[in-house]
Amino acid sequence: MLVHALLGGVIYGCYFTLIGLGLNLVFGVMRIVNLAHGDVLMLGAFAAFFLFHLVGLSPFIAAPVVMVGFFLLGLPFYYLVVPRLALAKDAEMLSLILFFGIQQIIEALAAIVFGSSERSIPGRVLGVGPFHFLGQTLSRAWVIGAAIAAGAVIALYLYLYHTRSGLLTRAVMASRDEALASGIDIHRISARAFAIGLALAGLAGVFAPFMLGSVTPAMGVSVNLAAFAVIIVGSLGNPLGTVAGGLIYGVGLLLMQTYFSAWADLLPNLLLIGVLLARPTGLLGRRVRLA
Amino acid sequence: MARWCGSSSGASMSADPVALLAAPPLVAPLLTAHDIESGYGKVQVLWGAELAVAERASVVLLGPNGAGKTTFLKVLLGLMPAWRGTITFAGTDITAWPSDRRVRLGMAYMSEIGVFTALSIAENLAIGGQFAAPAALRRRLEALYAAFPDLAARRSAAAGSLSGGQRKMLGIAKALAGSPRLLVMDEPSAGLSPLFVGQVIAILRQFHEDGLALLIAEQNVKFLDLADHVITLEGGRTGFSGSVAALMEDDQLHRAYFGL
Repeated sequence: MLVHALLGGVIYGCYFTLIGLGLNLVFGVMRIVNLAHGDVLMLGAFAAFFLFHLVGLSPFIAAPVVMVGFFLLGLPFYYLVVPRLALAKDAEMLSLILFFGIQQIIEALAAIVFGSSERSIPGRVLGVGPFHFLGQTLSRAWVIGAAIAAGAVIALYLYLYHTRSGLLTRAVMASRDEALASGIDIHRISARAFAIGLALAGLAGVFAPFMLGSVTPAMGVSVNLAAFAVIIVGSLGNPLGTVAGGLIYGVGLLLMQTYFSAWADLLPNLLLIGVLLARPTGLLGRRVRLA
Repeated sequence: MARWCGSSSGASMSADPVALLAAPPLVAPLLTAHDIESGYGKVQVLWGAELAVAERASVVLLGPNGAGKTTFLKVLLGLMPAWRGTITFAGTDITAWPSDRRVRLGMAYMSEIGVFTALSIAENLAIGGQFAAPAALRRRLEALYAAFPDLAARRSAAAGSLSGGQRKMLGIAKALAGSPRLLVMDEPSAGLSPLFVGQVIAILRQFHEDGLALLIAEQNVKFLDLADHVITLEGGRTGFSGSVAALMEDDQLHRAYFGL
């Protein structure tokens, strides 16, 4: 039972890494908290749902479609909202309020348009039969979710560390002022990071029906809580630190579900409180201001 | 108004350094700033600052702490907006341009910090040369590594692991990686021991002799060794503008900046 909880936790945790990844990238580059992150994920889940039920697209095809679509929507959205926000005196605080409003609007519109009933995609579209590993039987959806998440982490790593644009992105993360002084077009880099963040949320959303159960317009809030726990446990503003947070969250969740299942929903709150009390900069702590 | 302004000899004073530099027709102004006002929020820092840097010239902007030197440089680079006035670079009005376009046009700025401490030496240099074509950048970096052997030995080390003097060298190398026509520096002497100040001046002289124009904001008068033109800034207004020799001849200025 313990081995299953640990192994399952690591695999499930990979998916939670994916949930936190985009949020952490956006925070790292822009020092802006996208409180609508979970709702973007929800929209990705609904996109996958409708693409499957109306057009018959498998989630594996829906994933790149959603990612490209969300990326392309993210760019103009960034330029519409963020440069103006950045002029404000306390942009961090205002970003919280603004994105909270956006989150409420997305949730309300989704409830009106999609209805509040629970939607799902049959698990068999990902293939049939569980995986066996180390003598344990693991859900196929979890393993696929983990593989997708690992791919996303590797792709983000390659972008950040092996492209010119990625280098400039890390420069903005390291010091916004010095980036400006070095002639980096901060808004172009930030817009790209923001759009990548939305694309990653969309990707996580496409697989949410298999990983998180059924999909409703109200799911964004609890996803947000999980995402925040993941990135704060990992380290705020360091996208690759999300991996540590995701794994700890996944293992913690599975251990809780195995041994104290009634209390499992408390986990994100406990992790948040615990880490904020013990190591406010996250386990891989870098010194960043906590929003 | 600064206490020494208006009382120095008429010849060395100039209300309009642009006009002064325009007089000898061979020296085209590379950078000009005219009647610049700017500040933070409601606090005005610059009150009509003037400046001109000729092609291949070396200008030191001299002034005490709080005179507005950093603000002036930031406005020139587009890191802060000019409330009024005009800035031109290589004959183009760049007053409303964002900083990245100014850098692309050939300006480079070295802030007091000057480097990304979290990134490696090679990464810092690559950021400095972000607008260069890959082949040209490679050649440029090899030339820079030759000029800065300390950096060449530790290319993948984090800039934060360097000593203060080495960081300053990296800041210079980073600013030069994009092969700028003008290097604008904010207090390169800050936090440096006299030995390193001498080294910084030596390396800057080397690039200046190769045609790099310099605009250096300083309160350390050692940098006057490097200057062929001095502009003083006090209380957000530029005052004296002229050669180092003229500055030395002016008793009041001499006393203000060199003691007795």
